[in-house]
Amino acid sequence: MGTMVFISPERLAAALDRLAERFDLWVPSASSRGGGAVRFRRYASGTTPVLDRLTALSPKEAVQPQVESLLRFRYTKDAEDPGAIQLSLEDRIEVKPTLVFGARPCDARAFLLSDRVFLEGPYVDVYYRARRESTFLAGLVCREGDSACFCSAVGGGPADTAGSDLRIIPVGDGLVIEALQERGEPLLEGLGEPASDSIQEAAHQVVEEVSGRCMGELDTSGSIDAFKSRFQDGDYWREVAERCLSCGVCTFVCPTCYCFTITDESRNLQGERLRSWDSCMFYQYSLEASGHNPRPTRLDRYRNRVGHKFSYFPEKYDGQFSCTGCGRCVRSCPVSIDIRRAVAGLKENLCECP
Amino acid sequence: MSVLNPYCPDLATVREVIQETANIRTLRLTLDDPEKMRQFSFQPGQVGQLSVFGVGESTFVINSPPTCKDYLQFSVMRVGEVTQRLHQLTVGDQLGVRAPLGNSFPVESMEGKHILFIAGGIGMAPLRTLLLTLLGKRERYGDITLIYGARSPMDLCYRYDFEDWKARGTEMVLTVDQEFPGWKERVGFVPTVLSEESPSPHNRIAVVCGPPIMIKFVLFGLKELEFEDRQILTTLEKRMKCGIGICGRCNIGSKYVCVDGPVFDFDQIRQMVPDL
Amino acid sequence: MNELRKAIEAEWPRLEVVIGWGLGFDPYHTRPLFVRRSEDLSGLIWNPFCVQNLTGYLVKTPVVKAEDKAKKVGICVRGCDSRSLVALIQEKLVVRDQLLVFGIPCSGTVDWRRIAVQTPLSGVKSARFEGDLLLVEDNGGVRKFSPDQYLARRCLRCVHPNPIIHDVLVGEPVPPRAAPGNRYRDVESFEQQNLPDRLAFWQEELDRCIRCYACRNACPLCICQDRCIAETREPRWLTQRMGVPEKFLFHFIHALHLAGRCTECGECERVCPMEIPVTLMKEKLGRIVGDLMGYEAGIDPEATPPLLTFNPAETGI
Repeated sequence: MGTMVFISPERLAAALDRLAERFDLWVPSASSRGGGAVRFRRYASGTTPVLDRLTALSPKEAVQPQVESLLRFRYTKDAEDPGAIQLSLEDRIEVKPTLVFGARPCDARAFLLSDRVFLEGPYVDVYYRARRESTFLAGLVCREGDSACFCSAVGGGPADTAGSDLRIIPVGDGLVIEALQERGEPLLEGLGEPASDSIQEAAHQVVEEVSGRCMGELDTSGSIDAFKSRFQDGDYWREVAERCLSCGVCTFVCPTCYCFTITDESRNLQGERLRSWDSCMFYQYSLEASGHNPRPTRLDRYRNRVGHKFSYFPEKYDGQFSCTGCGRCVRSCPVSIDIRRAVAGLKENLCECP
Repeated sequence: MSVLNPYCPDLATVREVIQETANIRTLRLTLDDPEKMRQFSFQPGQVGQLSVFGVGESTFVINSPPTCKDYLQFSVMRVGEVTQRLHQLTVGDQLGVRAPLGNSFPVESMEGKHILFIAGGIGMAPLRTLLLTLLGKRERYGDITLIYGARSPMDLCYRYDFEDWKARGTEMVLTVDQEFPGWKERVGFVPTVLSEESPSPHNRIAVVCGPPIMIKFVLFGLKELEFEDRQILTTLEKRMKCGIGICGRCNIGSKYVCVDGPVFDFDQIRQMVPDL
Repeated sequence: MNELRKAIEAEWPRLEVVIGWGLGFDPYHTRPLFVRRSEDLSGLIWNPFCVQNLTGYLVKTPVVKAEDKAKKVGICVRGCDSRSLVALIQEKLVVRDQLLVFGIPCSGTVDWRRIAVQTPLSGVKSARFEGDLLLVEDNGGVRKFSPDQYLARRCLRCVHPNPIIHDVLVGEPVPPRAAPGNRYRDVESFEQQNLPDRLAFWQEELDRCIRCYACRNACPLCICQDRCIAETREPRWLTQRMGVPEKFLFHFIHALHLAGRCTECGECERVCPMEIPVTLMKEKLGRIVGDLMGYEAGIDPEATPPLLTFNPAETGI
């Protein structure tokens, strides 16, 4: 284990203030009226991080903003010759050092999966890379799982450290912060007091206890091919997704869904090319200019989502699923569509599938 | 496109506009940076993203041959918002280009073979660059045949090229859907003309591009003539955004048409999930 | 509840498909269930965890319908859902004769998210009712919640707990939770605040909106479906930008398209993953329509919603 510091409840605000001096700091927080979904927000002094409730959204927004500018363009008219118009482009990327505080293991792992898409090529996404390289993750040992969670079934676990630079271990009322990566070490400076032996011991126990938990069961073996053999089984997809509303909840709350659209918005002679989150659940996502849509119904679209996560992605990236088992798509689905059922059922006989 | 940022287009200027048909225009353009224009190289079949800033981007095949260093040629059918605006461009107007993108036709492995081109309407565009490439090294290929059809004579693209293609050793079979005053070539749908021609599959590669319904029946025809799936090449189209294999929408199974395509043979297509 | 299942079983020979509720990913989360085979009827449930308004499935493509014209589609409706059904009948979006409506008097449904705000729960083991009280057992032991603590906001202001229309009534009528004069209490208390506070409220709430359009897609009366103004490409009416004004514009368009049609079923608010009280906007509109036009949506299948007609003698406006 790496260096550990202990932050007592009284010192948490000061510790966060200190981090916020150096970083664009994202913490899980609720609305000021207390209600509303918990989500990662930019820290402002006085914000109380909510570490005992699951967040509605993952912190992917820190690296993949819901909307960002890719380019700015400008048409300039020549005062001497009004017919002559000059076009200019600007693609400056500005990033700030960022720290996500309190990402759960499922969310931290998701960054590693997105890295493969954005960084491995054949083309490197320079906007993603710039943000990703300056983003640190302080992962939280997760004790809040519920019946929608299944991180243990897709290669993670509630004490998994993959993707995290720091680890936050709730001990008593306070937090132990442990440096997991070398680049995490300097972040500990001045955050709290060095963790005493007894506190370190308590932290070990928490980690050990949580590591022993198995969150969710799902047999994913053979899903790459099982999906393909089910592809044209219309009855199966009707069974799984007939109730789908074709909204974007599952994709937007998902830590590993990364698909986006690019649109231009301009006013008079200048404007921006924007990139924003898109959802394969939307009819417009794959609608072609000719009017043809390869995925015209919500069944086609839901099937594509399952396929992407459990067949196409692992086929492309050495068997890794594009799913960290965070359970958000299950928990937040207005009609309780359960991707675990959709995956488990791929190999079952249809008549046995509920 | 920019070496550092694959999302950033190069600026280009329209040098010539050719009205091919009522709704298809060809743009010939040059990159504004002369050094980039000089160094620009691509393979036949590769595509480019054309940008009209303020409206968006759309994907088109580069249909000039790689040997043409004077301009890049794209043909645009007016169907949506971006193509509408591309049609409004005139000589001297600027636009953005991200190219080359995607894979290309396996020109080398086609050497020593007979080549059968089958095109419908705007589907001639990706075949044009390949045809011109092959004609540039005519001696390396066997028979080169082109079956090209459209609704009417006015719907055939690149009519100004036909004499040249013929003169350089292309057997041209032109057809239109219905009789038309003054039309002396064939009348009938492309698949019908294909079965009338009934080319032998022996040592032959078929390259097919056109509307989906034409491709479907041409495929039946080619199977009937006992062409094997891997002897049949085509280019696929999907709605695209990034063009660089990231944004997710042009997937067919685990393949992205923008980087793994647009050129596929039917053996590859048969192995994909049918999500077209 | 076996009573619903029995009622449906009795009518099964007339039915081709039944839209009801089944178990979701755990015993306390339910899902819409489409039953097409009699052996699957056992999957149907009804309890205070059944939260979905099912009437949208009658109008959104692919529409759930009976292929055999001699047969009907069975649909389960609570009081609130029955009003959506009335509105759909009024607008001729569904044909009454093709339906067999199983009406269920409803004393309210559970909103788990309200409970989570009051007490973070971990590892729910069981949930049961003792009279009006909801008893939840989790890792921290058994906790009790009163209806005021666990009922969805829409249920706390419910004045029509009993189905307005039905072919088969399952269960005894129940008294409403709220008095008619009290149904707009949330709007009224909101309006007690001064203007800057109200602005601040919506700024903070709508800042959370992620434009997933669940509110729209879950709404049985949002029938533009894939042609929604929020996503048109040409022209592009709404920007992709994520500022509060842009989000507000969408929600306001949504609400205005529902003026005089919305039955305040609360699905939009229930499905919001960010827990934004979006029904509040529609409640305000509902009250305006009531005050100006003396009209309550989803009550009379023969009536024409006021904004779907033109009356030169209109006095209210």
